[in-house]
Amino acid sequence: MTATSNGNDRPLLEVRDLRKYFHTPQGALHAVDGVSFHIRRGKTLGMVGESGCGKSTAGRAILRLHEPTSGTVFFDGVDVTAASRTRMHGLRSEMQMIFQDPYASLNPRKTVAGIIGEPLLIYGRVKDTDDYEAQVRELMKTVGLADRLYDAYPHELDGGRRQRIGVARALALNPRFIVCDEPVSALDVSIQAQILNLLGDLQDRFGLTYLFITHDLSVVKHISDDICVMYLGQLVEKAPAKTLFQEQVHPYTKALLSAIPIPRVGARKKRIVLQGEISSPVNPRPGCRFAPRCPLARDFCRITDPPLTEYAPGRLAACHRMDEILQGKIHIQEARG
Amino acid sequence: MDTILEIRDLSVHYYADRETVQAVNGLNLSLTRGATLGLVGETGAGKTTTALSILKMIQEPQGRIVSGRILFEGRDVLTMDRAEIVELRGKEVSMIFQDPMTSLNPLLTVGEQIAETVRKHDRVSKAEAASRARAMLETVGIPGGRAEDYPHQFSGGMKQRVVIAIALACSPKLLLADEPTTALDVTIQAQVLEMMRSLKEKFVTSTILITHDLGIVAEMCDQVATMYAGEVVEYGTVKDVFDTPKHPYTLGLFESLPSLDEDRDRLRPITGLMPDPTRLPPGCPFHPRCPRAMEICSRLSPEPVRLNGHLVKCHLYGKKEG
Repeated sequence: MTATSNGNDRPLLEVRDLRKYFHTPQGALHAVDGVSFHIRRGKTLGMVGESGCGKSTAGRAILRLHEPTSGTVFFDGVDVTAASRTRMHGLRSEMQMIFQDPYASLNPRKTVAGIIGEPLLIYGRVKDTDDYEAQVRELMKTVGLADRLYDAYPHELDGGRRQRIGVARALALNPRFIVCDEPVSALDVSIQAQILNLLGDLQDRFGLTYLFITHDLSVVKHISDDICVMYLGQLVEKAPAKTLFQEQVHPYTKALLSAIPIPRVGARKKRIVLQGEISSPVNPRPGCRFAPRCPLARDFCRITDPPLTEYAPGRLAACHRMDEILQGKIHIQEARG
Repeated sequence: MDTILEIRDLSVHYYADRETVQAVNGLNLSLTRGATLGLVGETGAGKTTTALSILKMIQEPQGRIVSGRILFEGRDVLTMDRAEIVELRGKEVSMIFQDPMTSLNPLLTVGEQIAETVRKHDRVSKAEAASRARAMLETVGIPGGRAEDYPHQFSGGMKQRVVIAIALACSPKLLLADEPTTALDVTIQAQVLEMMRSLKEKFVTSTILITHDLGIVAEMCDQVATMYAGEVVEYGTVKDVFDTPKHPYTLGLFESLPSLDEDRDRLRPITGLMPDPTRLPPGCPFHPRCPRAMEICSRLSPEPVRLNGHLVKCHLYGKKEG
């Protein structure tokens, strides 16, 4: 995990022990509970996990859309979490976000051009009206929106086109880093494929770095260089995308991947059907968060949090029984053949 | 083979602002007793409207079944009177809706909601209905003691189990499941699908499973029908259709999916968008997006052609007989 001091080898984003707690009448809700990772320049880190695992909160805390409770975020060596209001304003132009729901994230009273052009006005990046229009039209072209939609309103457009507006707005200020929070989850598969291709093309063209948050495992495999898996506010495993799909160390990752239905006849794999459901993130008990559902859990798993440990270059997992798993001494019972 | 359900030439329209939404257009479909049929297609293809028609639940006057017959065990649902329909719903045909968060009554305990269905159709005492409700909860993997709890006390996956318990309470012959796991997380989805599979063996219910997830179809279904713009464009056994998809739309769906077993640099999406259902294109509704469209496709709607065991509605196969 050590980064060399050479500027271009240094990860663009580095997150250290990030925490975000929310106050609830029942106590502190540990949405993000000590998460550390980095993203290499021009690469995509996929972040997967189920509802309530804290992946969206993590994405927002990185951009300080939620103020982190503790921890640090370095963006190209700059401590984002310590940045002043003015400094943050500048940083935000380099760190953007694409939201999940293209139906709810666009202002219905603004035109397509108004939505895409707003960041340009806020940051004073336009010389005059002609320049504004030229820049907006260029952005529309970049994301594949027809010129005639310049004065259209979001409600006149389908989900795929709306998401293109969200992408264009995120690109307006030439950011280097974009948090994509479930950007294709609300879209049908044929449209989803169009947007995924667009995000891939833009990354190649502008050298963008993505944090791609999703619950869809086939999408995350397609788009990511590295993948991290979250469970109840913590990272349980991180590995290069291909490696993770070939071999999983953490029992949760194994169960999660085995649960995906494969669209091919006879492809049904051995499946690990987990018992129970995700436990409450309010005042979580110490120990591994997954222990209550883990078929391999032992008493010691419930005492201390397992540390995220690098067991091979670029491959990390947080499990007390990792060594036994790696040595092949224990396996999870699979439900059916 | 024994056919439990046969839909012939069904057309359903919705009316809004002097425009007519052609939601279902001349749909034909049949379901073998005991089988599970997957109904796949994208948003707006008419999947849910088809299911609602089977229960005669299209809201009038905004919506209307304009033509067709729906034969459930030989009886036409569309000509049944109100009393017959009420008897049919929940007793012989029941439906699971997509969103478990909104399909339960927040003011009644889950036990009361299951018992309500039981008492609607079977003349049993309240105590008997309540005990059947508890037994039904146990069947779907929820402790019977939780019958006294209200929906908000359950998680999403548990709520969907309650919805399934209500649907199966009177042992229906036909179950319509509309995206039953779409709102659930993948590990919870695995639990619910596993449960539905074992319940199917127990109750021998014929099922129509509406989903946009081709993986679920491969796991759960015997037959599959692809819908596009209110028509079934391809229909056959899951094995036939998945191993050798014939219709360009079905092929396009498979191509646009990111794959878990192979690496693709780029996905191959279907170009363009679903047609506006108030202005469907003439001829084959898929022709404006079809990579293999021919001159005839924009003029003439294709007739279904039988090709080694499955039906395809496409001019590419027009002249051949299988």
